[in-house]
Amino acid sequence: MTLWDTLGDGYTRRALTEAVLVGLLCGAVGVHVVLRRLSFLTVALTHATFPGVVLAELLGAPLVLGSAVFGLAVVAVVALVAGARGGSGGALPTAEPGGRGGRDVSSVTGVVLSGGFALGVALMSAQEGFSKDLAAFLVGSILTVGVPDLLVTAVTAAVVLGLLAALRKELLLGAFDPTALAAGGYPARRLDLVVLVALELTVVTTVPAVGTIMAIALVVGPAATARLWCARTGPMTALAMALGAFAGVVGLAVSAQWDVAAGGAIVLVVSAFFTGSLLLAPWLRGSARPALAAGQRG
Amino acid sequence: MSASLGTLLTVPFERPYLTRALIELLLLGGVAGIVGVFVLLRRLAFLADALTHTVFPGVVIGFLVSGQHGIFPGALVIGCLTATLFTGLAATRRVAEDATLAILLTGFFAVGVVLVSRRSSYTSDLTAFLFGRVLTVSDGDIVTTAVVTGAVVVLLAALRKELLLVAFDPQAAQAAGYRVIALDLALNLSIALVVVAAVRAVGTVLVIALIVVPAAAARLLSDRLLVVTVLAAVFGMASGWIGLLVSYQVSVDHGIRLATGATVVLVLVAGYLLALAATAARARSRRTAPDALAGSATRPALAGEATGPAAPSAPEAPARAAPRGPVR
Repeated sequence: MTLWDTLGDGYTRRALTEAVLVGLLCGAVGVHVVLRRLSFLTVALTHATFPGVVLAELLGAPLVLGSAVFGLAVVAVVALVAGARGGSGGALPTAEPGGRGGRDVSSVTGVVLSGGFALGVALMSAQEGFSKDLAAFLVGSILTVGVPDLLVTAVTAAVVLGLLAALRKELLLGAFDPTALAAGGYPARRLDLVVLVALELTVVTTVPAVGTIMAIALVVGPAATARLWCARTGPMTALAMALGAFAGVVGLAVSAQWDVAAGGAIVLVVSAFFTGSLLLAPWLRGSARPALAAGQRG
Repeated sequence: MSASLGTLLTVPFERPYLTRALIELLLLGGVAGIVGVFVLLRRLAFLADALTHTVFPGVVIGFLVSGQHGIFPGALVIGCLTATLFTGLAATRRVAEDATLAILLTGFFAVGVVLVSRRSSYTSDLTAFLFGRVLTVSDGDIVTTAVVTGAVVVLLAALRKELLLVAFDPQAAQAAGYRVIALDLALNLSIALVVVAAVRAVGTVLVIALIVVPAAAARLLSDRLLVVTVLAAVFGMASGWIGLLVSYQVSVDHGIRLATGATVVLVLVAGYLLALAATAARARSRRTAPDALAGSATRPALAGEATGPAAPSAPEAPARAAPRGPVR
């Protein structure tokens, strides 16, 4: 294996560390994304933080800072216009039954996504030679992550994982039965916002290192795959984290072996896991499949 | 005054390349606005976004096989494949729709990235794919777009009643004997067609905005489906015109280069914000009026054709109010 031979190089070790960290972080956050149907919002976050990156680069500020500010703005706009649940599903219980035409989460997310991205592009097109940066933004350059990137990822991972672990009961209740959560006296809106902010932190630290497409794939892919195998959220979270980290390592190996883009290879590994599970899970698990239903209710 | 405004709006288009860009944008703005209404009703904005990314490998493969001419067929094949896969996977209900779309989006896009990364001029291809080259569209492109526009408009007009019934009450549609999955497929394929036609000309960034934003803005302003559809089409076309003009004027008069596609999107978003402000103002004035309670709490549903004879359970449909999305 080519990856094995280059293990002595600093960049390979840094890339591997980053892939594992990002895989663990995204896998854990992804469970909530899949249960609450936040995939579209994830996509919107990855794209709409783009102007932040461009502005930060123009001003010489850290890229993560720029995208974090814009990410918070996206979360705020979607939560304000469409309500804090931010789910992209059609039948969320707290979705207002009427009067939201043109303001439902799906449309608002679409508007924010395209508007934010276009703003970034417009800012960027005013400068010279922007196409290279843009490609890096989309597909990332995991092979060039530095030690500061690793530190940022590690700190974010620790914070977000700690937060999710501490609030796991409340967050799960919120995902499955928001009415019960509110009735139980919990601050339901604030808990929903916690999920969105955790997702936002994950996305903004992941995107500069690995690119938008890979961030989406690592958040949604492992969790959706784990969802096919597990009926309980504990094992599902563990499996999603393991799959995320494993996909990162395998993808890097594939990339080194056949000289293809690292980000693309990792995403393809994630897709392969999902496709394989989709085909195999019904056979191996039999038809008795308990309902882990938040993501499926409709 | 009006004469000078008229010249300002038309004079730049005496240049042939700008005329072609304008025709392309008008066609796309119109058809995307119309499709967008259905996207809005079914909450398929994510599908439109996913399609803009999934056609990328089709573009790459098409280009590798037969150069510029291969792009459209390649994107078309992959776009239809995505729409079919999504319809099928959504019908099985084993995976949530949004997760399915996210995985399709990233998976297909990664195939494109991996293919492209084997070539040297990697980044410039990607850039063209993202922003399109609306200023370099050819007559052939315009003909293709016109054909796609015609086909999609005819299809949507013909299936209008059935698609609306499915949007508002899928159970009723099923009970009435319609093949819901076939209708879903038809709608998803027409979204794919529009995306494919538009991607090459205006890039992925613009497509999603052209589809989602005009319909969302129009829906804020009206509750009647026909009005919403017409408004969305007009808004899409007008934004294309204004955006093209602004990006041209700014670059000619002030020497600032603004990507055309991005400018059109920013015009669209500005329009949406205006519509949002108008609705907020209207809601406020209504709230101060004495008989306001009912008005703001249950805004009338976009009833469309749901009360027609095709819907046995029609009386409840308006009561359930706004589109409930794809409950399949």
